Amino acid sequence: MSESIIKMNNIAKHFERKIALSSLSFIINKGEHIALIGPSGAGKSTLLNILAGITNADSGEYLLDGKSIVNYQKRNIRSRKIGVIRQQFDLIASLPVIQNVLAGKLGEWGFFKSLISLLFPIEKETAARALNQVGLLDKMYEQTSRLSGGEQQRVALARLLVQNPEVILADEPVASLDPARAEDILSLMTELVKDKKQTLIVSLHSVEYAKKYFSRIIALRDGEIFFDLPSEHVTDSLLANLYALKGEAKDG
Amino acid sequence: MGKFLYFLTYYKKSLLTLLLILIFVWSLFSVQWNADLLHPGGGVTTKQIFQALLAPDLSPEILILALESTWITLVYAVAGMSIAIILAFFFGILASGVLSTSRFNLFAVSGFFRGILGFTRAIHELVWAWLFVAAIGLSPFAAVFALGIPYGGILGKIFADMLNDIPEEPIKALETAGASKLQTLLYGYLPLVRANIISYVMYRFECSVRSSAIMSFVGLGGLGYQIQLSLSDLQYDEVWTFLFFLIALVVLIDAWSNLLRKRMVL
Ligand SMILES: Nc1ncnc2c1ncn2[C@@H]1O[C@H](COP(=O)(O)OP(=O)(O)OP(=O)(O)O)[C@@H](O)[C@H]1O
Ligand SMILES: [Mg+2]
Repeated sequence: MSESIIKMNNIAKHFERKIALSSLSFIINKGEHIALIGPSGAGKSTLLNILAGITNADSGEYLLDGKSIVNYQKRNIRSRKIGVIRQQFDLIASLPVIQNVLAGKLGEWGFFKSLISLLFPIEKETAARALNQVGLLDKMYEQTSRLSGGEQQRVALARLLVQNPEVILADEPVASLDPARAEDILSLMTELVKDKKQTLIVSLHSVEYAKKYFSRIIALRDGEIFFDLPSEHVTDSLLANLYALKGEAKDG
Repeated sequence: MGKFLYFLTYYKKSLLTLLLILIFVWSLFSVQWNADLLHPGGGVTTKQIFQALLAPDLSPEILILALESTWITLVYAVAGMSIAIILAFFFGILASGVLSTSRFNLFAVSGFFRGILGFTRAIHELVWAWLFVAAIGLSPFAAVFALGIPYGGILGKIFADMLNDIPEEPIKALETAGASKLQTLLYGYLPLVRANIISYVMYRFECSVRSSAIMSFVGLGGLGYQIQLSLSDLQYDEVWTFLFFLIALVVLIDAWSNLLRKRMVL
């Protein structure tokens, strides 16, 4: 009954002579919430960049909603399918919050509409609704650089709500936040995407958050899938092996 | 011998300093220190100039003339800067290559426009002024273009460099949100360089006021022209009046630019 949105088949990627990803295959269904974990250098960011269409794989097949990713070269077509959120330095600090949120509409807007909106914001209600959802309605006209890290991440989330893509990719979205803010953003994120049945793929360094907020965990190690399991099936010994240092893993 | 080499390697720096000092002293000796060096009446003139500093000419006619000349100098500077800003905006964006879609495009277009910017600023504004006066005569346009063209080259280059130094993450984020190249310019590049470029433009504006005053020596009117006239009449008290107006103008612009910068801090 569940429809697939992402199909990866033998995806491989290397940089010069370093293999970043070797022959990954998996299927992701619409509406799934997936955490991507693994030690540093495992290939999480590389995989997310390939999923986002920012980098191309060397070989293998990537189908997004049944069509190869090469059909999504036009930015404003791709932006309807896939949205990306990273850390707060993704925002334009010198613009007011509302402009950063409305930037989620740029894929739909033409040049003149976006120029006018820069002076007299159009679709204020859209921005207000998104900011209300992330609890920042009162900061609508504040300059973005004056916001705290956690608030900036909420603004990025609001931009994503306005963009409203089918798949949301996030690369360590809470890496620079304190534990309380981090949990706050993660729960907000997983709640908000539920309403619209959006698919969520998030890379994390915290196994605890991965288990708490996501139903499926894909673990990468050395560019390969180490395990791909529902959260409740992930055991401590699997995790210990996943994060074991090179020497230990060979011995054990 | 070995000891000498040891000495050389360990005192290399001090030896170099000593050598430079010797060269300096020798250069002092090569100047002919005799009475011809100073203009015979120089001492008297210097005294006159400093006396005039304490008693500038504040008669109404001179004050009105100074005010008018200040106005002309300012107008040339503003008009020149306007041209410079327009030139810099378009040429700077093209020279930075942030709108280029392909690699070839990037090298060809940005190379071409960087070349033009380099050419316009390689020539000093006074030389441009001579060229324009030769071409179109003593008209205000000559002064304005002579200022605007090299200043456009300088501003354009700095603008292009600032655009190139923008971190790529925010721009990438806009692109994944569906923004086109032009939209990333509006929502990314321009807001990100705004504060820096405005404070640089204000600094250049200050420079352009001084250039505009100098420019009038070419015969284009303004404070420099009046200074030149008073100097040749040996009216040092008038010279100081004009200089004080020039200083006041620069100070005012500096105050304004500080005000702007404070309002714009990130
Ligand atoms: N642009 C690049 N050029 C060369 N090597 C790269 C590049 N990007 C990634 N790599 C290499 O590919 C491998 C995977 O990197 P990636 O950034 O995907 O890891 P990661 O799992 O995101 O790590 P982290 O948890 O530290 O963010 C690493 O060994 C890295 O050195
Ligand atoms: Mg990473």
